[in-house]
Parts: sequence; structure tokens; C-alpha cells
Amino acid sequence: MVGIFKKILSKLFKNIFKKKKQLKLGIYGPPNGGKTTLANKICEDWLGEEMGTVSNIAHETREIQIKEEISIKHKGKELKFNLVDTPGIATKIDYEEFLKSGMKENEAKTRAKEATKGVIDSIKWLDEMDAVIVVLDSSKDPYTQVNITILGNLEARSIPVLVVANKIDLKKADIKKIQSAFPQYEVIGISAKFGNNLEDFYDALFKVVK
Amino acid sequence: MYGDGSSEILKGCKCGGKLFFYIKKSALERQEEHIQLSQKDKEQIEKDVYDILGTQIDKEKPIVLDIESIKILRPGQYELDIVNLFKKQPLIYKLEEGKYVIDLIQSFKKNK
Repeated sequence: MVGIFKKILSKLFKNIFKKKKQLKLGIYGPPNGGKTTLANKICEDWLGEEMGTVSNIAHETREIQIKEEISIKHKGKELKFNLVDTPGIATKIDYEEFLKSGMKENEAKTRAKEATKGVIDSIKWLDEMDAVIVVLDSSKDPYTQVNITILGNLEARSIPVLVVANKIDLKKADIKKIQSAFPQYEVIGISAKFGNNLEDFYDALFKVVK
Repeated sequence: MYGDGSSEILKGCKCGGKLFFYIKKSALERQEEHIQLSQKDKEQIEKDVYDILGTQIDKEKPIVLDIESIKILRPGQYELDIVNLFKKQPLIYKLEEGKYVIDLIQSFKKNK
């Protein structure tokens, strides 16, 4: 009798304190597409604080960054999620590229090593995601192995995807090229840096994350 | 270079090294470009590999790194086969009791 009572009490206790599973929204893409700039923009808009540092040198984000319990209120609807900013996924990481930016050799080699670990971590975390924003630089060729592999793997895992064509403020930006490369996805052109077209972005986000 | 199941791989090299790179026979036959690495570079690569794999790796046990997924050309220069990485194919072959244990998930357990 005491055993049954203990079990009921334990179950009740667990239910009261069981943390509700938060939806995980991942930001994925190649390096320097503007993932952290977009993550910062979302965090600034809805939390009033930034998420991480941004840089013109690739692989600035080398560790998974998480901002918990972001609540977006948009056109009478509310969306709550944990935002996961991931290191850029690349097929080649060479410290010599960082030297060109004036970095010292040791610093550049460490950055390359951490960026490599970052790629593995990003890939490892993919299965944890409930939805993913893929951030691409709209001024660059979208037909790359990295982009195709990321989107192909998201599709294979049936993870909802929103493709963001970032940096539309640049002269070379070509949203149509990204749309024709990945016609099965909704592609939203934005400038995370200048906050352009974020209304459409939030509209699309609500559609993707139901 | 040591063959599969050699005592060096099972127990570690006489030099004290316990980190091995797995090279397929076919890759050897292709006579890929071999980069001459200095002893200093080799030691640095070993240190970097342990850093990349994280603290959960037991340095006392021999480890074979599958270079099909991650190629380290020299310190600071990496080539990643992301197609393989997404497939979650094993990167690390831990050796226990003379057998290969393929356990990527354990090796790469993340810190939540």
C-alpha cells in the first residue's frame, strides 16, 4: 500500500516539475552567410539582447550557441522556441585563409581546429532540431556541395525548413538564383544586417514552424 | 604503417603513440600525394585531434581516426567529407580487448 502511494506521489512530483519540451529552431548554413547576424536580429527584436559576435572573417561562430525561451508575437500569433545558432558547415578549412585577414599563425591554426570541431558539432545537433532556418548569402552561387548536402539531409529527416537569402542589400544579390536552385522551399530574401524584409521572414517562419 | 589488428594498433606504438590514422588499401594504391610531416607537425596534429574529439576520449586507449571523413593535411588544414559526416558514419574506431568498437555517438556525446 505504501509502495503504491509512493509511486503515485513520485509520478505526480515528476509531472509537476517535468520541463515542457521546448521547440528547437536551428540556424544552419555555410560560413559567413549571416547566421549569427540573423540570430542577433531575432534576439534583439524579442529579447532585447544579442546572441553572439559577428565578423567578416569566416568561422567566427565555432560553438553551438543557444538562446532559450524566445517568444515571438506576430500578427496576433505567438511562437515560443529555443534558438540554436550553429557554426558554419564547410568542406575545407585552411588556416592560411585566416592569415590573409591579418591573423597570426597560431591563432589562425587554432581557429581552423575549432571551426572543424564546430562543423562536427553542427552536424551532430541536426537531429535535435524541430525546424531549421538555412541562411545563404544571396550574392554567392547557391549550387554548392555544402548547401545541397544540408538541404538534402534536412529533407531526408523531414525537418521543416525555411531558406533565407540573406544580404539582399548587396549589389550582387540574386534571390531568384536561390529560388531556382531550391524550388521546393520557400525562399525569403532579407538583410539581417539592416533588418530589411523581416516582416516577410516572420510570416514565413510562422508558416514553417506550425 | 601497421596492418589491421597488429599489436601496435592494439596496444599502442613502441614510441608511446596511441593515435592511428586509418588508410584504405585502395587509397594507398592510388598513390595520393603524400605530404611530408615533421615530427613537430605530427605531434601537433595528434594534439589537435584530441582537442577536436573532446575530453571524453580516453587517451590511454589506442584510437584509429578514419581519414575518409576528416583529412588533416597538416596542422590547421582540414578537409571534411560532410556527406559522410551527415550519414553519421563512424569516425572513431576505439579498440577494446583486441576488437574494433565503432561508436561514433559515444565518442561524440555532446555536453547538453
